[in-house]
Amino acid sequence: MNISKLLSKLVKQKSIFFILVVFALGAVFSLSWQGGALRSAVHAEEAGVELPEFEGEGKSSGEQQTAEGVAEGEVPPEEEEEGELEPVQYRTFFGLDSRVVVWIVSELHLMFAAFVLGVPIFAVIVEIVGFKGGDIKYDKMAKEFTKLLSAAFATTASLGGLLAFCLFGLYPEFMGHLTNVFAPTMYVYALLFFGEAFTLYGYYYSWDILKGTSVKKWSHISLGVLLNLFGTALMFLTNSWATYMMSPAGVSMKTGRLLSLSEAFYNELWMPVNIHRLIANVCFGGFIVGAYAAVKFLGSKTKEERAHYDWMGYVGNFIGIGALIPLPFAGYWLGREVYSASPVMGNIMMGGAFSWTFIIQAILIGMLFIGANYYLWLGMGRIKGSERYTGYIKYLNVIIFMCFAVWLTPHNLPLSGEERAMIGEQYHPFSKYFGVMAAKNAVVNLIILSTFFSFLIYRRSNKGETVRFSEQGKAGKIGILSGLGFCLLMLISYAISLNFVELDAQIKGYVKPLIFALYIQSLAVCFAAFLTFKDKGKLAQFILFGVTACIAVLYFWFYGFQVMQKANLVLRYLSVTQVSIVMSCLIMNAVIDIFVFRKAKVVGDIVWGKMPVRSQYALLLLCIVIVILMGLMGFIRSGLRMDWHVYGLLQDTSQWTYTPTLSFMGRVVGLIVALFLGLVSFVFWLANLGEKKVKTEAEA
Amino acid sequence: MNKTMLKIVAFGVAVIGFYMYITVYVTGLSGTGGGESAGGVTPEAGEQIFWGDGQCSTCHKIGSSGSATRGPDQEGLAERAEERAKTLGLSSGLDYLVESIVDPDKYVVEGYDKIMPKVYDPPIMLSREKILAVIAYLQTLGGEPDIDSIMKFKDKIPEASKKKVKPWVSPMEVTAEEGEQVFYDESLDVTCGKCHMVKGRGTKVGPELTGIGAIQTPEYFVESILNPSAVIVKGYETVFVITVDGIPYNGLIKSDTEEELTLIVEESGTMEEVVIPKDEIEAMKKQEVSIMPGNISELLSVRQFYAVIEFLRSLK
Repeated sequence: MNISKLLSKLVKQKSIFFILVVFALGAVFSLSWQGGALRSAVHAEEAGVELPEFEGEGKSSGEQQTAEGVAEGEVPPEEEEEGELEPVQYRTFFGLDSRVVVWIVSELHLMFAAFVLGVPIFAVIVEIVGFKGGDIKYDKMAKEFTKLLSAAFATTASLGGLLAFCLFGLYPEFMGHLTNVFAPTMYVYALLFFGEAFTLYGYYYSWDILKGTSVKKWSHISLGVLLNLFGTALMFLTNSWATYMMSPAGVSMKTGRLLSLSEAFYNELWMPVNIHRLIANVCFGGFIVGAYAAVKFLGSKTKEERAHYDWMGYVGNFIGIGALIPLPFAGYWLGREVYSASPVMGNIMMGGAFSWTFIIQAILIGMLFIGANYYLWLGMGRIKGSERYTGYIKYLNVIIFMCFAVWLTPHNLPLSGEERAMIGEQYHPFSKYFGVMAAKNAVVNLIILSTFFSFLIYRRSNKGETVRFSEQGKAGKIGILSGLGFCLLMLISYAISLNFVELDAQIKGYVKPLIFALYIQSLAVCFAAFLTFKDKGKLAQFILFGVTACIAVLYFWFYGFQVMQKANLVLRYLSVTQVSIVMSCLIMNAVIDIFVFRKAKVVGDIVWGKMPVRSQYALLLLCIVIVILMGLMGFIRSGLRMDWHVYGLLQDTSQWTYTPTLSFMGRVVGLIVALFLGLVSFVFWLANLGEKKVKTEAEA
Repeated sequence: MNKTMLKIVAFGVAVIGFYMYITVYVTGLSGTGGGESAGGVTPEAGEQIFWGDGQCSTCHKIGSSGSATRGPDQEGLAERAEERAKTLGLSSGLDYLVESIVDPDKYVVEGYDKIMPKVYDPPIMLSREKILAVIAYLQTLGGEPDIDSIMKFKDKIPEASKKKVKPWVSPMEVTAEEGEQVFYDESLDVTCGKCHMVKGRGTKVGPELTGIGAIQTPEYFVESILNPSAVIVKGYETVFVITVDGIPYNGLIKSDTEEELTLIVEESGTMEEVVIPKDEIEAMKKQEVSIMPGNISELLSVRQFYAVIEFLRSLK
């Protein structure tokens, strides 16, 4: 197909892309202009509230020089000469707001990068599952997504290049500093990039060559693992640059001189961001796959196609939810480390300018959990035998919505003077108990437990009579004991470590209930394993859920208030205890479920393709929401630095140094999401062009 | 584009639109309104800073105002400050408040961590006046503000940096070795080593520069070379002497005895010793001008200048 034909086809059939491009360009200009207007407003407001202080306060040195020059009526030749020596701090691109330009390009690059890093993990897992289970459709799906990766990889690289040009061009001083610190790692980055490119194309193009024998297939899987290792190393490396900006280390905070590259690289927030992004990328990949399957499902003409894409959507959603469940824990760890790195930044995040963004985040995460559960419940409709469990759904629905409501409740409702006088204090007498961290931690754990419960009833929907545990053979025993060992190690080691925390004797007393709770949970896990061995696995699961909910949700909700008021320092240990207890429940119950329902009698088949249309929109919702969430969290992580390029070291003296309003952020993130989804759709369409041609020729 | 695709696009636009609406709604909900601002060292200004620029409220609450529990509740602080001052041997509650802000780790209230930042340092960088205003506000929490007494503590509070903080980036590729050569090169119009000593090499007319890179910033070096009188190191102030014959001298005191005064003066770019008998001195006055030549920018090339800066930075 020549270019003119391609363009004509684009215009005829995919005019939406052109509309999107025009819309995007218009929006960029509009946001840039509005950013300028906003900036003026913010500066005007600042001028109103600023106390009289320094001469020329609020102006950059460049601005001061200009102002003085104008006042004197001329610029002396000496100053002109000195001006030539001044390094350029900031530039603009055709008068656009440089920050918005970098914001959009970097977020698009990050989203594509997340796709390019997340989907290979997904593809290799699916390939291994297909190979071990002997199911060819898994292998086909893995290959289908690897084909999409090839096109997406080029787009990611192009956006990366554009981002680098934007940063070096628009923020030369800042990039000069970053290069001074990280120059050696930039060469490593280039090498890793080559490694990823070669392994990606090698992985895709060797798919058909490396099949047939077990050795060949494992070689191919190894290539996929190598691709993931390169991708992960790439992400970890660039994370160090981003996290250095938030928690600089290894440099002199007075002069910016590099003292230790390793310290700058392994800064305080590096590992928490690595783990959070790694899990988030898997989740992101899963939901993108789900959305791809949903679009294909909705456009399917035959039963076979619908069945295939229904199954694909299920797998994508399964992996997405699987990664979504531990994500809040990783996020909590990251948040805690932000507090440790800088209490000021931590307070800006949760108690200051950015605290309201977490209300928006709560809405989005609530949508994700509700959407994922809704899809699972609809999915039960295609499984014969699921009627036995549908009664639970309404209760789960109520629990999840109530948790969501608590999560959304702000502690400090904006009250008028009259309202405050009526209430007699700043907080609402009832809702104030839902706004604090103790309540929010409790409900997020309950949402996670409920979603996990949804998944378990989905799994057993078509399972009937189970076989005796003794018939599960060695695998069953090893599985249960391994799960038990892991959980005990996690719970007991943390309980022991709590004995040695350095706190005043009076406050340390508040840690004892946490240690006690960890030991009770350890006993509950042991008891669950014991019951499973005695063929009472379902009862074991029920008891473990009950004990976990009682401790991690009910008791810690109540105890959290006590701790907040009397021993605030203990709150951090309480949260980790809560997470450990819930994690042990999820792990142990998952292992028990596998071995209790293994070889169970099947009471009905799964009728793939028998799904209502609205279920596919649930998958689309999950994908759009995770992309929005990524955009929002990117804004929060970056915005927390306030007016610093490198926090506490290199100040942002540009005209865009103010924090934008939430509504402006919403428009920019909305635009980024629309652009990303449009581009991804375009890339998928491009990748499938060849296939369509083959199909058309075959039909002819 | 078929109907299904249109529906999908419409659905996507609706979800994104919903998100944008939420952000607009939350912006309205979180808005603080605006209003007049107070200034100066007053409790009113301090209150605004406490809940605003100073970010105090992100760690401290005051009774039912605010929700932070990371730091102690400040309700009734003024009374507690008096009691703590007695326990800690400080002169007054005000002294305690000042110390808590200037050196927050010195005394930490039981049950709390050492997390309070020095608010005059980055990233908060509160000015001295703003800190004084906050102290005035804190005095109202269980007591009466006393602005006159507060102002007496003014000098105890470090001044926040007025300059924007940014790391040094040399405008050109130069090395410390190159700078060292320039530093001691006697063929140039000006030789730093004739007045400054580094690791035993050079002459000690001006301040010793060994280890200077560890304690001073590159910006300080630039300023000291281009504008030597901006900051004069203690003990290196110049004096202006006029003799009974009307001859003026401007130089550094090398020695001062009962009989004579020995000055080091600059004569056509070189430093010379001048001995003046005390009975010939008509008048003598300390000057706020450095003896170091003020025209070094004309005597060194740009490259030589930055090379010297790089050399000074390396002296650690």
